[in-house]
Order: sequence, then structure tokens, then C-alpha cells
Amino acid sequence: MEKKFDKKKILDLLLNNAMYIIIALLVVYVAIKRPKFLGIASIINIISLTASKLPMALGIAGCIVLAGTDISAGKIVGLNACITASLLTTVYKIWPNMTAPFPIPVVLLIVLCVGGLIGLFNGFCVAQFDLHPYIVTLSTQLIIYGIILIYMMLGTNNGMALSGMTEEYKQLITGPLFNIGTVRVPRYVFYALCFVGLMWVIWNKTTFGKNMFAVGSNKVAAEVSGVNVKKTIMMVFTLAGMMYAITGFIDAARVGSANATTGLNYESDAISACVIGGVSFVGGTGKISGVIIGVLLLQVIFAGLNFLSVNANLIYIVKGLIILIACAIDMRKYLTKK
Amino acid sequence: MKKLLSVLLAALMVFTLAGCNNSANGGDAPASDAEDVAVFWYNHTDAYLSSVRSAMTDALESAGVTYNHYDANTDQTTQTDQINTAIAKGVKVLVVNQVEASNDDVTKTILDAAAAANLPVVFFNRSVTEEVVTSYANTAYVGTDYTQAGHMEGKMVGDYVLANYDTVDLNGDGVISYVMFKGQEGNLEADARTQYGVEDADAILTAAGKPALAFYDADNANKYLLDLNGAWSNTASKEYMDTILSQYNEENGNMVELVIANNDDMALGAVNSLKEHGYNGGADQVTIPVFGVDAMDFAVALINEGSMTGTVKQDAVGMADAVKTIAVNFLNGNGAFDGINSAYELEGTWRVNIPYSAYNG
Repeated sequence: MEKKFDKKKILDLLLNNAMYIIIALLVVYVAIKRPKFLGIASIINIISLTASKLPMALGIAGCIVLAGTDISAGKIVGLNACITASLLTTVYKIWPNMTAPFPIPVVLLIVLCVGGLIGLFNGFCVAQFDLHPYIVTLSTQLIIYGIILIYMMLGTNNGMALSGMTEEYKQLITGPLFNIGTVRVPRYVFYALCFVGLMWVIWNKTTFGKNMFAVGSNKVAAEVSGVNVKKTIMMVFTLAGMMYAITGFIDAARVGSANATTGLNYESDAISACVIGGVSFVGGTGKISGVIIGVLLLQVIFAGLNFLSVNANLIYIVKGLIILIACAIDMRKYLTKK
Repeated sequence: MKKLLSVLLAALMVFTLAGCNNSANGGDAPASDAEDVAVFWYNHTDAYLSSVRSAMTDALESAGVTYNHYDANTDQTTQTDQINTAIAKGVKVLVVNQVEASNDDVTKTILDAAAAANLPVVFFNRSVTEEVVTSYANTAYVGTDYTQAGHMEGKMVGDYVLANYDTVDLNGDGVISYVMFKGQEGNLEADARTQYGVEDADAILTAAGKPALAFYDADNANKYLLDLNGAWSNTASKEYMDTILSQYNEENGNMVELVIANNDDMALGAVNSLKEHGYNGGADQVTIPVFGVDAMDFAVALINEGSMTGTVKQDAVGMADAVKTIAVNFLNGNGAFDGINSAYELEGTWRVNIPYSAYNG
């Protein structure tokens, strides 16, 4: 009897930490096959990749906690990357009348406003018209896509990729934070850490964060206990929009250019990362640490399969399986609670 | 308060849209009257096609014909619906950048619909098959020989590597290790560029007694890295290159010594990654030769500053000009190729090829 109980406990422990175990197994396997996978250069590369995807995932996680989603995220990233690249540049193609690049803080403010306003618009439609976020963001991503295409045709640009960004801006984002040997850790890793801290405080230490979880787990109950549900929803989406804007702001410098396909399918990776990290679509559950694990796992898969020279087609299959397993484990937890 | 906010937000969105729309689609025909020339694009995000689009806008405008652009957003069904709607609306010439290149059934469907309304069709850029096109009257295709860009890129790579063999061979092992970035699976141009970009270079090298190029990762049977979104994007090549450089570098004596990309966007991603790792930044740094295709403005700029080595120019203005000439000929009842620029290669009675040219500064 006692033995059986133990078995169940161990199984539970294994399942509840399945994602950590999968990451560990994957890392060990790749490292055995390709020892350089655990070299400093490779680890910094994985950390940098993770850092670049984190702000966006942190933003989208809030929408998922509300039992919603946001599929306009990638396009918001793209639009803001294009805006950033067009203003912090030394070749004035979108705005031929510019005579000097904009000051960096002004551009940051502009993209935060653009991202925030689009987020607010998403949140407003969700809250005010009681529409499912999928429908709302499905519509807005089309609208934003159109705006991106129009924006890229402005001036003398003709839809070309935007590059030639100012050295100052590139340094701000990709300049070295510090060096380990000859390997450079880019500054955006530090920014990502700041955003992780910021979001952790917002989620765990503020009334707004608590309200978000309350609305996510039960809207009616939250309403009854005095939470301003509509305001909470709008704030979550606005915050998410601003995080996408930051992602776009960083991505333009990180990739070194922006075009109309920048941000393509980003949301599917961000949503997958959240789900893998246990931010449940059921709503009301999720942790910042989970989001980080989710993003990290996807990047470990990307880099690991690359090191193993795995056929590109298999990457889709592996990703799909991981997401499916993660969701199954997640639902199992939920079912046992019931 | 909230209602006011919603109205304001909606108004803002509409204004933004309306404001931008004027500059982007200046040539729209009045709503009640169908345009003369309807142009159907496979995807408005494509950078090269966007430059063709603005050249075509200028060409059609100066020819004094009315026109409208349609975006199929990579979906053939959308495009076919758009074409049928335009026919119903009463346009006079169809100009089609077919989404599913070389799909004969799609081409036949489009041509059947056009024939029923007795309309001429000009296909361009994305390939259609000769036997289908020639079986209909008043149909032409403006394209490029899709293998040509790959051949030119391969030749450029081969010539460059041969002329600078010892500089390119960083670790002095006598073999040049390369990486190839492929934009998309199942695309004829991507296939040809991936194949000939290396094959033709190898031919030049082996003819001169040098060993063939070696893919940097001997275990990768594909011998290319693919943009998983099929978007030929610089994000994909940047992330691959970052990952490659974390494993293959000069310290380990296995640095990638040559980058060949299917297009300039992917070449750009590789250049940006190399720059971040202390390469390709000027005379005092080691330069890894990077080759692309398209001769985008930014690529030309990179080549002139020495951060990129070569690209192949696909003539956007020439393509737009040829399409315009044929469309206007059809509109006026002239022969399809009357007065067409003699620099373009005519192929039979159905096809015009716009030649590529190599660009290396």
C-alpha cells in the first residue's frame, strides 16, 4: 500500500517537472553528441536567443492568463520594428524629408505609444463588446498587416527591407554588456532581465496582477468581489502591446534590419512558449518562471537540433510534439484538481 | 468616457488608413468604373516584387492607363477569386503574378475564365508552363530564366574564391567551408539557387585543380539551412548564423569561410551576425565573403562598404516595363511584343526573359 503511494508520488513529481526533465535530457543528449553545445559561445547564443523572445512572451502570457490569446502580437512586433528602423536610420527612405535620425528616447516613446494603443484597442474590443480575444486579434492583425504594407511603401522605400540603422542605436541594443573571453553578451540580455523583474513584480506584487489572475480564473466571481474586470482586461492588453513594441524595438537592431515579414509567426512561438511553461489556456494560472522555461526550451530545441544537424522538417514535428505533451501534462494537473 | 474613447480610437485608425491609402494606391480607378489593367500580386510583402510594383505603378501611370493592384497574400484561392471578381467588374487586361508557380491547373482556370470574357492575360515573375500559355490566344509571360540567377551566383562565388583562395581559406586546410541559406522549400528559384550556387562554383574550382567547396557541417545531408517560415528572411539567417558561430569559429579552427544565400535579405542577416562577432566590419577585420541575389539597395550599399561580396541583379524596372508594354499592346489591339525593349530576350511567341546581371561593386 505504502509502496504504491510512493510510486504515484514519484510519477506526479516526474510529470509536474516534465519540462525541466525534457530540457535536461535534451541538453545532455546534444552535449554528448556535440560537446561544444555546452561551450560558452553556445550557451551565450542560447541565452541571447531566449532574451530576444522573452519580452514578447511575457506580454502574451498576460493575455493567456485571462483565458484569452493574442494573435496580433507578431504583426505588432513587425510594425514597431519597421517604425524603429525607419526613424533611427541614416538613410531616410520612408521619410525622405528627415534630416537626422530621431533621438532614441523619442522613438522608444513612439513605439511604446503605438504598441500600447493597439493593445488598448484590442483590450477595449475584448472588454467592451465581450468578444473572444481570438476574434479581436484576428481582425487587428489583418489591420496592422495592411498598415505595415502601406508604411513600407511610403517615401522612396518601395517595400524594401529597412537597414542602415544608427551606430548609437545598434550599440544600445546589441553592444557588449560584458565579454566572457572573446564571447560578447549583448545588452538586450540585460533588458530582458529587467523586463522579467518588472513583470514578476506586476504579476505578483500589484493589485492589478492579482486582479488579472482573478479575472482569468473566474470573470463573474471577480466582478462580484469588486474587481473592475473591463479595466483589468484593457490594461493587460495594453501592457502586452507595449511589450511587443519593445520586442520590435530590440529586434530591428538585433537582426539588423526590418521588413514586412519581420515578426511573422512570432506569436505562435510566444504562445507555444507560454503553454509549454504552464501558462494554461484554461486561464488564471501561470508563472513568470514558467514563461522563461518555455522560451528557453524552444531555443534549446532550435539550437540543439541545429547542432545535431537534424533535418529542418523534423524541427516542426519535434516542436509540435513538445507543445502537445506540455498541454497534456497541463490539463492532467487541472483534471486531478477537479 | 469609454464610448468617447472608442470613437476616438476608431477615428484614429480610419484616419491613419485613409491618410496612407492615398499615397500607396494613388492610381485607383473611380469605384463605378472598372480599371483597364488589373494587376494580381502573389504577396505584397515580397521586397523584390514591391520594387516591381512601384516601377509598374509609374510605368502604367505614365502610359495613361487606369490600373489597380490586388494582393493575394500567398493564397491561390484568394487570387483566383480576385481575378473572377475583376472580370465580372469589367477590366480589360489581366496581369497575373500567379501564386502557385508552375501549377498548370491554376493557369488553365485563370485562362479559361479570361477566355470566356475574351480578355488578354499577361503572366509575370512566377513561372507558368509553355504548353498551357501557348494554347490560348492573347497570352504572354514575362519572367526570368529562373536558373540564371543561381548560375550567376555560382560563377561569381567560384571566380571570387579562386582569385582569393588563400585569403578565403582562413584555417589553411586547403578546403573552403561554406554555409548555404535557402529561402523556401518547393520553390523552383530557391531550388536552382541552392543547387547551382554551389555546383557552378565547384565546377570553376575543380577545373582549376582546387577541391570543391565543403558544407561547414559534414553531417547535414541537405547541405543548406532553411528558413522554417519559408519567408527568405534575414531573421532566420541571422539566428542560424549566430548559432553556427557559437560552434564554428576561428578559435576552434573550423570557421565558416564563405556564405551563399538565396537572396539579399538572408545575406544581410548573415552579414549582421558576422559583424556582431567581429567580422566584415572593415579593413582591420577578417571579411567572410557573403553572396546574395536581388541587388537590393541595402545589399549594394553593403557591397560598396566591403561587408558583402556580391549579388545578382534582378531588373525590377525592366520587368515592370516589359509587362506594361505588353499590357498596353493588348489594350490597343497591337501584337504582344510590339515595340518591346530589344535588351530583353524573346522566347518564341509567348515569353520575354529579363536578363540578370552580376554586381560585385
